[in-house]
Amino acid sequence: MAESIKHFINFAANPKVLFPCLLILTLFMFPGNDKLLAINKRLGLYKLWTKKGGIFLFSFMLLFFIFGLTDPNFRLIVTKPDNVPIVALLFLVNFFLWLSMKQAWENDARIAKGQPPQEAEDAKEKILVWPDLVYIEFIALILCSALLLAWACALPAPLEEPANPSVSPNPSKAPWYFLGLQEMLVYFDPWLAGVVFPTIIMLGFMCIPFLDNNKKGCGYYTFNERKMAISIFMFLWLVLWIFLMTTGTFLRGPNWNFFGPFEYWDIHKLEALTNINLSEYIYMILLKQPVPENILLREIWGFLALGLYFGLTPILLALTFLKNVFKQLGVLRYSIFTFLLLCALSLPIKMFLRWAFNIKYIVAIPEFFFNI
Amino acid sequence: MNTPVTSSSQSAPVQPPSRPVQKPDDANMDRRSFIKWLPLGWAAFAAVVAGYGTLVLRYLFPNVLFEPKQSFLAGTIDDYTAGEVSERFKERYGVWVVRDSEKIYALSTVCTHLGCTPNWLASEAKFKCPCHGSGFYKTGINFEGPAPRPLERFKIFLADDGEIVVDKTQKFQQEKGEWIDPDSYILA
Amino acid sequence: MPYFDSGESLFEKFCKTQVGRAIFRTGIPRNQRQRMMIMLNGVFLHLHPVRLPKHAVKVKYTWCMGGLSFFVFLVLTVTGILLMFYYRPTVEYAYGDIIDLKEQVPLGLMREIHRWGAHLMVVTVWLHMFRVFMTGSYKPPREFNWVIGVILLVLTMLMSFTGYLLPWDQLAIWAITVGSNMAGATPLVGASGPGASLLAIGDVNFITSSSDARFAMLGGRFVGEGALLRFYVLHCIGLPFVMMIFMIVHFWRVRKDGGISGPT
Repeated sequence: MAESIKHFINFAANPKVLFPCLLILTLFMFPGNDKLLAINKRLGLYKLWTKKGGIFLFSFMLLFFIFGLTDPNFRLIVTKPDNVPIVALLFLVNFFLWLSMKQAWENDARIAKGQPPQEAEDAKEKILVWPDLVYIEFIALILCSALLLAWACALPAPLEEPANPSVSPNPSKAPWYFLGLQEMLVYFDPWLAGVVFPTIIMLGFMCIPFLDNNKKGCGYYTFNERKMAISIFMFLWLVLWIFLMTTGTFLRGPNWNFFGPFEYWDIHKLEALTNINLSEYIYMILLKQPVPENILLREIWGFLALGLYFGLTPILLALTFLKNVFKQLGVLRYSIFTFLLLCALSLPIKMFLRWAFNIKYIVAIPEFFFNI
Repeated sequence: MNTPVTSSSQSAPVQPPSRPVQKPDDANMDRRSFIKWLPLGWAAFAAVVAGYGTLVLRYLFPNVLFEPKQSFLAGTIDDYTAGEVSERFKERYGVWVVRDSEKIYALSTVCTHLGCTPNWLASEAKFKCPCHGSGFYKTGINFEGPAPRPLERFKIFLADDGEIVVDKTQKFQQEKGEWIDPDSYILA
Repeated sequence: MPYFDSGESLFEKFCKTQVGRAIFRTGIPRNQRQRMMIMLNGVFLHLHPVRLPKHAVKVKYTWCMGGLSFFVFLVLTVTGILLMFYYRPTVEYAYGDIIDLKEQVPLGLMREIHRWGAHLMVVTVWLHMFRVFMTGSYKPPREFNWVIGVILLVLTMLMSFTGYLLPWDQLAIWAITVGSNMAGATPLVGASGPGASLLAIGDVNFITSSSDARFAMLGGRFVGEGALLRFYVLHCIGLPFVMMIFMIVHFWRVRKDGGISGPT
């Protein structure tokens, strides 16, 4: 029984399975428009954001970890000192996600009844910072110090062998908060995954207040009034950030192969990694002719695909799904918004292309280190 | 209110000038011509700031680097058997010396993906990088994993006394067609 | 509070002497006026306003994450300074000094607190950002403070990243090798990035492995002595200095943009 559960979890934890599932789940858990919201309500998914839902969520997570800790392989990964903060982070993120969504749905219910949000109710009363806030802060500091001290006593800081430039440990991992980026490295070249995308992520996050021109929902928790913003943020933050980081930490083993949470990290695990480029795919498989010598002629299809993706998609979306968004944002905001969104979506798309067609590069010009 | 203003403006020319009266062609600059020169001033300021920034940037690149020697002696041709990947110089110099049926070449031990050190797996006849799983044939050509291009080769030549010298300051890249350069191998 | 109500405490008596008055202008804040004055008079307490709407004080609204991030930053500063007494940033000594810190120095917990504190700070900063997003607090007039916040988030991760190299163990150099090679792949200014060969004039390459972005970061062509020293300086002085400036602006703007966000 336990073995078959472990086998199932190993199978389900594979990014090829889990990632699409999570994408779909996010779409319905945080519905971005009225249609999806209606489905969410019909399925009763919003009930997770109640006290009962919270108890369910946390007993489920706790049970999973307790069950997992009985397995030696799981125990080995999870109790590695550097991985402990990520286990804590998983619980914390889920807790605060639940806490914020619970308040958001409660406020939505109040607003639907014509009442102001709970925060507005509270804000009517003014209180003195001394002693009320100062003491709360004082207690928070003491709790935080106690936590840090206990953590420091319980877990020694990791220290590995002295540095040796001729032996790379297998696997070699970046610090845990960068493992989402390292996960991107599987699908994109370093200049994109390590430089361009982080820059776009940073600039994109800075753009948020200037792109979201929805006046509502400032200063209180709400979901209904900012459906789309929260939905997109959850996709970026929970799926592309936290989830990929967790995958990189727990599920990537020797040779950067994927290993299920209950799988032994076998150095000799073989995985076919032979990939082909889009140009080879089109010329050799579809057109059945040799790949042309000329670089531009060879890569024209890739450039065409990219041009259509970034040029045509925003226009098509503005005419169809995002008609209202276009109207609300105006041309400039809309262009930046869709560009950022398409950049973010390019990761799942590239993943899918890799899994389904073994595509390595859309555009491959190794002569200039220019591979996309 | 008005009277003192008018009286002062009227009496101004009468007053003995405490400083020389300004003429248009005076060497002193008036407000209008000062504004005319302002863009030039700002341009000069920006140029100085940019120049200073460049100097600071240049400061980050020292003229002399105290790094290990970049060339080394690697024995004679007879030290290597055909088909062998020698790991003798991996630890000290970061080089594999490979001899195939025709020639000897020096492969860099730096993975072209993100600079980890691959391992030579003799049983599978490939270099496998532990960081992200790139695989390279014995020639250095990449065939699996995320590495975008083959391993680099270093300059290798025979000294006058017949000893092999590997010079790491010059490298040869396959994707640029540099492996046919006679400096990149020794005929065995 | 019976303790305060039963006559004058020793502290209160001290507050009435000339020395006491010179230090604590307000004394023990008992009445409304004193509670306001203590917030206005102290340089540190002045970070806060005198009064707040009640929702802004509730833990379930703010999660305390911003304040905790700042507190952990202070803890890291103190433990970091203490660690600097024993640690020498050279390839020869670094690893040994880390071991000595554990085994030869009393209270060998300092490095643990520093390391786990660094992890904790990344977590609290993320959760703070998450809270600010969920309450829509980045909306006007607080847009710019969100931008400052994103910069602080990036700086936090850079601080943690530069600190990663200092123990000079296997984990350290390979994480930094991978990280710095990404810098080498920067378009135009990285030797193994796209466009570097476009900057060549004839046969002369300007962007080579000893003149690119990666070199500027490492102070050498690979992770070695130069990299250790550069990362050490950035970790201990450079980045904290920049971070302080942004934190000052961040806190100032919280107050100037109308305090903690709330429904209008």
